[in-house]
Amino acid sequence: MLLLTATLAEPQHFSVAEKLLLVVLVAASAGGFWLRFRVVLNKILRSKKDASFHLFPIGKRVWDFVWEVAFQAKVIRQRPLPGLAHAFVFWGFCAFVLVTLNHFASGFGAGFLDPAGPFGRFYYGFAAVFALACAVGILGLFIRRFVVRPKWLGKELSYQSGFIAFLIFLLMVTYLAAFFVSDADPATRVLWWVHTLALLTFLPIIPHTKHLHLVLSPATVFLSRGGFSRIPPLDGDDDFGLIAGTDLTRLVSLQAYSCVECGRCTEHCPAANTGKLLNPKEVILGLRGYLNDLGPKSEEPLLGKYTPPQVPFQCTTCGACEFQCPVGIEHLPILIGLRRGAVNTGAWEDDHGAKLFLALERGANAHGLPTSERDKFIRRAGLPIFDGTQEYCLWLGCMGGYDPKGREIIADFARVMNYLGASFGVLREEKCCGDPVRRLGNDFVFQQLAEANLKALAQDKVKRVVSICPHCVRTLQEDWKDYGTPPPVEHHSEFLARFADKLPKRSNRRVELSLNEPQPLAANSLARYPREAGANSPHLSKSQPQPPLSTGNEDKIVFHDPCYLGRYRNVYKQPRTVVKLSGELVEAPRNHERSFCCGAGGGLVFLGDETGERIGKVRAAELVATGASVIGTACPFCNSIFRDALAEQGEGAPQLLDIAQLTARGLPVSGAS
Amino acid sequence: MSGIWVVLEEREGRIGRISWEAVVAGQKLAALTGLAANAVVIGAQTEALAAEVAAKAVGKVVRVEHPLLAAYTADGFTLALQQFIEKESPSYVVFPHTYQVRDYAPALAARLGQVLIGDVTAIGEGPVFTRQLMQGRLNGSYRHLGDGPCLISVQAGAFRAEELAAAAAGAAEVTVFSPSIEPARIRTKPSERFRGAAQTVDLTAAQMIVGVGRGIKDADKLPLVQELATALGAELGASRPICDNGWLPMERQIGSSGQTISPKLYIALGISGAIQHLVGIKGSQCVVAINKDPDAPIFEAADYGIVGDLADLVPALTEAVKAAAQQ
Amino acid sequence: MKIIVAIKQVPERDAQVRIDAAAKWIEESGLQHALNESDAYALEEALQLKEKNGGEVVVLIAGPERVGPTIREALAKGADRAIHIDCADLGKLDALGVARLLAAAIKPESPDLVLTGLQSDDLGQGQTGVILAELLGLPHSSLILHVEKTDAGLTVKRELEEGWFQTIELPAPAVLTIQSGGNKLRYATLMGIKRARSKPVLQVAEAELAIDAAPVVVLERVALPQKQKSTQILSGTPKDAAAALVEKLKFEARVL
Repeated sequence: MLLLTATLAEPQHFSVAEKLLLVVLVAASAGGFWLRFRVVLNKILRSKKDASFHLFPIGKRVWDFVWEVAFQAKVIRQRPLPGLAHAFVFWGFCAFVLVTLNHFASGFGAGFLDPAGPFGRFYYGFAAVFALACAVGILGLFIRRFVVRPKWLGKELSYQSGFIAFLIFLLMVTYLAAFFVSDADPATRVLWWVHTLALLTFLPIIPHTKHLHLVLSPATVFLSRGGFSRIPPLDGDDDFGLIAGTDLTRLVSLQAYSCVECGRCTEHCPAANTGKLLNPKEVILGLRGYLNDLGPKSEEPLLGKYTPPQVPFQCTTCGACEFQCPVGIEHLPILIGLRRGAVNTGAWEDDHGAKLFLALERGANAHGLPTSERDKFIRRAGLPIFDGTQEYCLWLGCMGGYDPKGREIIADFARVMNYLGASFGVLREEKCCGDPVRRLGNDFVFQQLAEANLKALAQDKVKRVVSICPHCVRTLQEDWKDYGTPPPVEHHSEFLARFADKLPKRSNRRVELSLNEPQPLAANSLARYPREAGANSPHLSKSQPQPPLSTGNEDKIVFHDPCYLGRYRNVYKQPRTVVKLSGELVEAPRNHERSFCCGAGGGLVFLGDETGERIGKVRAAELVATGASVIGTACPFCNSIFRDALAEQGEGAPQLLDIAQLTARGLPVSGAS
Repeated sequence: MSGIWVVLEEREGRIGRISWEAVVAGQKLAALTGLAANAVVIGAQTEALAAEVAAKAVGKVVRVEHPLLAAYTADGFTLALQQFIEKESPSYVVFPHTYQVRDYAPALAARLGQVLIGDVTAIGEGPVFTRQLMQGRLNGSYRHLGDGPCLISVQAGAFRAEELAAAAAGAAEVTVFSPSIEPARIRTKPSERFRGAAQTVDLTAAQMIVGVGRGIKDADKLPLVQELATALGAELGASRPICDNGWLPMERQIGSSGQTISPKLYIALGISGAIQHLVGIKGSQCVVAINKDPDAPIFEAADYGIVGDLADLVPALTEAVKAAAQQ
Repeated sequence: MKIIVAIKQVPERDAQVRIDAAAKWIEESGLQHALNESDAYALEEALQLKEKNGGEVVVLIAGPERVGPTIREALAKGADRAIHIDCADLGKLDALGVARLLAAAIKPESPDLVLTGLQSDDLGQGQTGVILAELLGLPHSSLILHVEKTDAGLTVKRELEEGWFQTIELPAPAVLTIQSGGNKLRYATLMGIKRARSKPVLQVAEAELAIDAAPVVVLERVALPQKQKSTQILSGTPKDAAAALVEKLKFEARVL
């Protein structure tokens, strides 16, 4: 009640000496701020211009700014309690703009917001609410940092952060206390000067610490690259990626200086969580350290002292870091940029990497297998060849064309497409889409693959592509844009979800089957595709015997969101629609945009053994622990990784099925429509 | 022109099996052309070798002997045989296709203005010589033109050494030919041969490998597999799960994250054939798969397969291999 | 050290083999080509020698216009210049003819070392390097895995049968044929490709070299082998199946 009637007290009169002092202090503080801020600004502005940055379309930028900065949406959503505390601090700062301006103006006798006036009473009261929230928030954050000590904030305690927290708390407390005194009270003057000193101490500290984000991060969020994991095209003949300071662009430098060291990127990084050296926060801070010490004109290598050379190559490009960052840092183009620098110059020496590059330099697929293997599979599975008349081109990819499990998924998906009456064909010849080399930074091989494939698609007059692999989908739709215009591409989950109402629900299958259809499960698998006469080859698609269904006893299916479908493409609902047709959907603890990578991405599945714990094993354990009887996947690489991980579990492991297989097992036995 | 001369190669003091096969090839050529097939041994001390050859049903045996031929050098052998061929003017000279022959016979042929028809797998009417092209995916028929001697080398196993009969009535006639070789003409200095450095395991160089996978079920079956490997003179390899379980060291892992192998023979025991493994073995010349599951993808990659229980098949195979080695 | 690496462009290793209309060679239309595999190892060995001893690496290739990308690949990986003998149809020459062509281009260069791959992926004769040595009057050795320059000349590691090796010392200049697998191949990089654009490629017409091209050995005809690659499943009791397998391995596959 007191607060509602109280007004903010302020000293009514300042002596000349006080005013003089104020001038000196403000000048010193502002000078101190500018001295350092100018240096940072310079480092950013003297960095290379971003050749492919486009301000327009501006709509998304404005929206992201409003949503992420003003509303603090990401900050709160991804770490609710600390996020809310921070939001209060931020909103407190925003609310205090007028307060602060008036505070200094009044010091010079030019105060413009009278605390006793009607607007003044409202506004100062309004600000007081925020001040309280801010004080509580900052106190909570202080306790989190110094008492709880979450590991993502780093091993060492940041006394700097503690001091800033103290200053902020002091600012709020001195403000609130001013409601409890009167203008004439000498305490008011003391409060005023303490508040002033706190502010003027805070200001010059900002550009020297991570609190620079106060100034930079709104710009960073606004000036994003315009999409998730946007890899910029190389700029001219001398650009090979991020090799030295001269390669750091303004966006990269801006982002490096915006890092608020919150550790959200590292917290969700699969590599950092399994004992690898890679720590996304440290990579960004490494760049900041480089810029601080050497600047953007230095020819010293970026990899070495500031970031160990093997670190970028431990990244699966899952994007959890970039997704989590509340200040708009885009880690993926940076990590891939560092890879480019090492690979495009031949500095990266890795046996498996070289093998992958050599295989794709000369051949058509990432495994280095002869293309006749793919031809054999197409024949055996009876897949139609795309001839320009069909609606869909079914892209097999390196897994669908060559991996035994990938082939099963294709065979089942083809069966579903036939059932739905969708016309499709497979390309006679397919080269690898180039995803692994794109993510590893080999632009030479990627260009060759993209151009060859685009040419083939255009020649064959492909109108739409559907693929079982999110990596292919992403690469075809987005990365090939650097070299031409790909046709529209969709993932098979998007396709299946579109026809969900035409697909039978598995729990009803028993009812369908009881209508005089033959039962044997072996017949089920035989019906999948016509066998080549005389071939003594084994079945290509093998469904495991279905457990007998009793009503209400559905499979519990835990769906694993693939990184390249979820975070990269924002597709979460469609695969779940498909899963629910086949059983009861169960969520893993880390699901949707928090899904934990299987470890295959970024080309890593083609490289040698991981150090530390195996990422795929960790995720598999998490999925198994849900108690589900089936693990549902939508990516053949995830499937392959989990297959290995589950193999160690032996007999008790849950079934591992792609959504295409889940759908196919619900189809009536006669299969083809 | 004095017929067909087959040049035999010494292996550890005796005539190697592939040389006997070359003699059989020479005799086939003889039957086709009506010429006589004779044998040549070459070295510094060839008496014992020549006697070994003379005991078989060959025509004449010539010992091309010179102290500077004690260790093989391309210069020495080329010079010696060049002089021999210039003296004898054969219509055909037949070699076994060994590393040694590949090192000197082309130079010898060029010196004579000829071209070696190498790695022949069949000799037909004409005579027409068949050799493999495109890494075995194509067969080519070659003919020799002109008057000079036709030099050929024959692939190991293309002809059966068993078809060579013992000498009918007494040993064949043995003569000595002494080429003149000046020391300065021998430009290369070979060392004694040695085994590869004692690395831990280098499957990439192994010519024969036995791979074991999850189908083996228990680590206690490993000794059976080791016996087979020993009988074959093969290295032991494994698919990933076996190494992950610690049953075999990681360096024996074959696959995309382990070693890539290219042996003459790879036997996959209880390996299903996941793509990571297939990628590691695709360089193998001949793949044999033994697995209980007839649908295992490994069978698609194999040249030969047996569906059955490893516990029965591995010992049986070991026995069969040992028996064959004694023949 | 001036090293000449003689390379060949061959049909891609996994290329589909179809016989052409005249049954004299395979159908070339639609074929992809690549650098011969053991030549890639020869090039790698040469580049490593240059990195260690200084000098230049020159690639020499005979073939039609389509060998252009292979030349660029070799330059991209680090060769300094290239010599292209424009020869529309290599098939009309026998091994001696091809070697004569190459020797004529090599002679004026007076290299310290000539490297070739052990054998080509298409014809697989493995003779060009050895014949080259004879024609150039140089010492040679084949199946080489490793080369080192010494004061006296060269020391090389040669592969023998059945897992044995041998060291050979020989004087330079010499000719060596390089076996696959001795080194780790380097991959082509964007930087290499960009630099390759400015490296010189000397075009030499076949006729300029004026060699005696009449062949003494001709490839008359090609045919597909009767046995296609299919899996032979052997059945019967374990003893029978094992015996059958060993029989096949000995006499059909010829690996035992």
